Amino acid sequence: MKGLVFSEFLELVEQMYGYEMVDKIIENAHLPSSGSYTSVGTYSHLEMFELLTNLSKEVSISVDDLLRLYGNWFFDVLMNGHKRHLNNLTNSFDLLYAIEDHIHVEVKKLYPEAELPSFETTIINPTHLKMIYSSERKMWALAWGLMEGCFKHYKEKAAITYHFLVSDGSKVQFDIHLLA
Amino acid sequence: MDSTDDPIVAMWQRRWQRERNARKQAEVILEEKALELFEASKLLKKNNENLEQIVDARTKAFEKSQRRLEAFIRNLQYGIMLENENRKLVLTNMAFCDIFSIPLTPEDLIGIDCVAALEDVKYLFTEADEFVERVGDLLAKRELVLGDELSTIDGRILERNYVPIFFDDNYIGHCWQYRDVTQIKLAQEQIKLSEEKYRGVIENMELGILEVDNDGNTVRAHKRFCEMVGYTEAEVLGKHAASLFIAPVSKTVFDQQVEIRNKGGASTYEVQMLRKDGSLMWAVISGAPIFNTKKEIVGSMGIHLDISERKKLESELKQAKIIAENAQRAEKDFLANMSHEIRTPLNAIIGMAHLLYDTRPNKQQIEYLDILKNASSILHRLISDILDIAKIEAGRVEIQNKPFDLIGLVRTLQKTFQMRAKEKNLEIECMVDARIENWVEGDELLLNQILLNLLGNSLKFTEKGHIGISLRLLKRENKQITIEFKVYDSGIGISPEKLPLIFQKFKQLDNNKQQKYRGTGLGLAIVKELIELQNGTIKAESDLNNGTTITFQLNYTDCGKPEINHLPAPTHISEIQTAQSLRQLKVLVVEDNEMNQQYIKGLFQKWNIAFNIAENGSEALKKAQEQNFDLLLMDLEMPIMDGYNAAIAIRNTENINTNTPIVALTASALLDQKHKALEAGMNGFLTKPFSPQQLKELLIKHLPVIADNIQEEYNSPTFEFSEQLDTNSLNIFYDTDIEHACEMFETFLESVLPEFTDLYTYAETKNYEKLYKIAHKLKPTVAMVGLTWIEPMLFTIEQACRDKKTDSEQTIKQNIQNINQEINTFQPILQKEYKRLKKFCKKYKP
Repeated sequence: MKGLVFSEFLELVEQMYGYEMVDKIIENAHLPSSGSYTSVGTYSHLEMFELLTNLSKEVSISVDDLLRLYGNWFFDVLMNGHKRHLNNLTNSFDLLYAIEDHIHVEVKKLYPEAELPSFETTIINPTHLKMIYSSERKMWALAWGLMEGCFKHYKEKAAITYHFLVSDGSKVQFDIHLLA
Repeated sequence: MDSTDDPIVAMWQRRWQRERNARKQAEVILEEKALELFEASKLLKKNNENLEQIVDARTKAFEKSQRRLEAFIRNLQYGIMLENENRKLVLTNMAFCDIFSIPLTPEDLIGIDCVAALEDVKYLFTEADEFVERVGDLLAKRELVLGDELSTIDGRILERNYVPIFFDDNYIGHCWQYRDVTQIKLAQEQIKLSEEKYRGVIENMELGILEVDNDGNTVRAHKRFCEMVGYTEAEVLGKHAASLFIAPVSKTVFDQQVEIRNKGGASTYEVQMLRKDGSLMWAVISGAPIFNTKKEIVGSMGIHLDISERKKLESELKQAKIIAENAQRAEKDFLANMSHEIRTPLNAIIGMAHLLYDTRPNKQQIEYLDILKNASSILHRLISDILDIAKIEAGRVEIQNKPFDLIGLVRTLQKTFQMRAKEKNLEIECMVDARIENWVEGDELLLNQILLNLLGNSLKFTEKGHIGISLRLLKRENKQITIEFKVYDSGIGISPEKLPLIFQKFKQLDNNKQQKYRGTGLGLAIVKELIELQNGTIKAESDLNNGTTITFQLNYTDCGKPEINHLPAPTHISEIQTAQSLRQLKVLVVEDNEMNQQYIKGLFQKWNIAFNIAENGSEALKKAQEQNFDLLLMDLEMPIMDGYNAAIAIRNTENINTNTPIVALTASALLDQKHKALEAGMNGFLTKPFSPQQLKELLIKHLPVIADNIQEEYNSPTFEFSEQLDTNSLNIFYDTDIEHACEMFETFLESVLPEFTDLYTYAETKNYEKLYKIAHKLKPTVAMVGLTWIEPMLFTIEQACRDKKTDSEQTIKQNIQNINQEINTFQPILQKEYKRLKKFCKKYKP
């Protein structure tokens, strides 16, 4: 998992709970990287889950909720970092639709080692988008948070519902209805 | 500072440591990335260089290809104008400038606006507005159009192609191709004219042309052919031509032609063809195979000419020819038959004339007989000439090469003519080249005929001076010899202008002077034909009033005297006698008269003397050449060859009887006949009729040894015939041979007598042909039984049958009645006489 996900996560934790909380969840975990993350590096996703689990214990918020929260925040980070590439996408559906076939393709070019989830996106009608998330990382909640970040960014409103296609969360269907 | 107790400080220390670690990690990554970047850059640069090289090479190749293309376009015979999609000229060539007489180089034209240019060039075309309109049309449609033809005002014809150019389905311009096809068009026009000309010629020549493929199916049927057979071309295309047109009778002929055609041969043949309406037509077809460019046979072409008319004419001509030939054959047959028919009674005349000599004629009667004999032999020769020329013309004369005595033949002729020439007091000269041997191989009869003819002519036309024959050896190659014969005379001769005519048929030199010389005019023509038949040559030289010389050459093969399987001729008299006494004597009887033959035959049988009979001189000569005789009895007057000629030939040719005694049997005791006989080489004579005793004496005189054989017969008893019969003739006939008389009487009574009733039968039915024959047959028999006077009656009947005159019927009737009467009267007398004869024979000849 890209170092950026870790560094931005710890950044969010520090903003919300102070560096003491960052220090605490690192110190309570057994991390091969010792909690030192650079955004250009690559680390095991298990470290992320350990940090999330530790934080969840400290702040009494579920791991999935933490990921959803982080997705909201992380979308803007990604957006700001790659504005010039995403200029031509003018609304949320365009962007969501472009993830699988354009954005992830470009990410793979930049970071061949990156392990990315896959999305099967279907436009049901102009206001209804169906997205099926598949990943062994089971970080569907992060995807959810990112979608919410996206709507926020384009100042659009949408109702997002989901249900598990596989019970462990490795395959989840999202139905996104754009609200007027 | 290893550790601190202050947790805040410791946390900050940890944070600092984490940040530092992160930075170091980032630096490591950065370094790796920088290295990667450097490597990538290096690779990129290298790739770039490769790429540049490739681009460079491709650019050069492209330029080369473009140059080639440009050069190609520039030098193309087609005038090329390439426009881009904006109708700006991109490329053109010199040919284009030439075609449109543009005084600029192709390079100068690049970039010009073609829309404007079109307006300038349109006036070059005879139909300027149509030209512009067509260009607009082509540009609008953007479809490939080839072979537009345009006429220019200066009389040229241009061919134009329009080729739109697309790149990835996008129209990017077009290409115009112009070509000056004036010459090609003119040539094509000329070819077309020439084709039309020949087609016209063929159509006018009435030759129907048909083309078929290898299966014989019609590929093309030309107009004239269709007219011939009455079909339209559409009706026959694809149909099997032979099944449609060839009549069943000509199938075989046609199939043979197909064979020839399959082998690549041409042929001309005639067949019968079927028209559409079922009628038949004769055609001559000249057929030849058709080859494609690979020299394979792809079919055949037949040129048909309707020859029905010709065939009709041909068959009519054939018919006419058959009729004409039949007529000619009939004419020839008629001539031959007539000649033959004439010859038969003529032979009777000649034969009878000769027999009359035996009837003891007086001097005046002999004179008449001589005239009769001469006239009939002239007539005989004329008929023979006609028959000969007919035979020669029909190619029926066969050359029979056998050894013969050439010198003997010539000497015989000399002697013969010497005798005939005596009354004219002419000498027959004879000169023979000493180098010529007696015996040669060749045709004796033809040579004899030739010389007889020539010498006969000479004798006919010569009154004084001489006649001669000479033989000269011209050439000898091994056994092959060429002999030059000359027959010359000092006769009346032939004028130079008539000379070339003498060998022509039926050309008598009939001026008044020669009225007395008669003949068919065929003699010399026959001579010439006979000589040429033997590959010889003949020529005539003559001096009017001074004589004629006929010269001819003939080829012979030299051969020795042929072996004759008989005893050699004795050389000395003593030897002859010894020899004669030791062996059976043999006599040759030469006699044409049957009664005389019978008479002598009877005597010789009685005397036990061997003999042979020859009917005439020619037969005698043949027999004399074949075997040795001790004596020859020679009648003088005989048909075919008389006794004089036979004696001359025997004496003058090489044969075993050259020295055998010859005794003439003369009918008259006239001295000149006897002289003539001696002159011809005969040794004695016996005047007819003679008694057995006279013959005996003669035999003994010439063959002394014979005397003992026949002496004993002297005292035999005699038989007296009844005075009612002709005793004189009976005694002559039978003399002492009563046995013979008995046989003859028996035969007459049993076989001959019943035949007399036939006379009556044929006379009643008026079958004169049969009547003639029976009369002829009966005629000689009556004298044998002493009824001599009936003979003239039968003769009269014979004559009347032939004459068929108005009174003939009456004459016949009368004579038959008389004969009947005589027969009836004498039958008992003959019976009585026969009984007496039988009795006599029983008594004296057991």
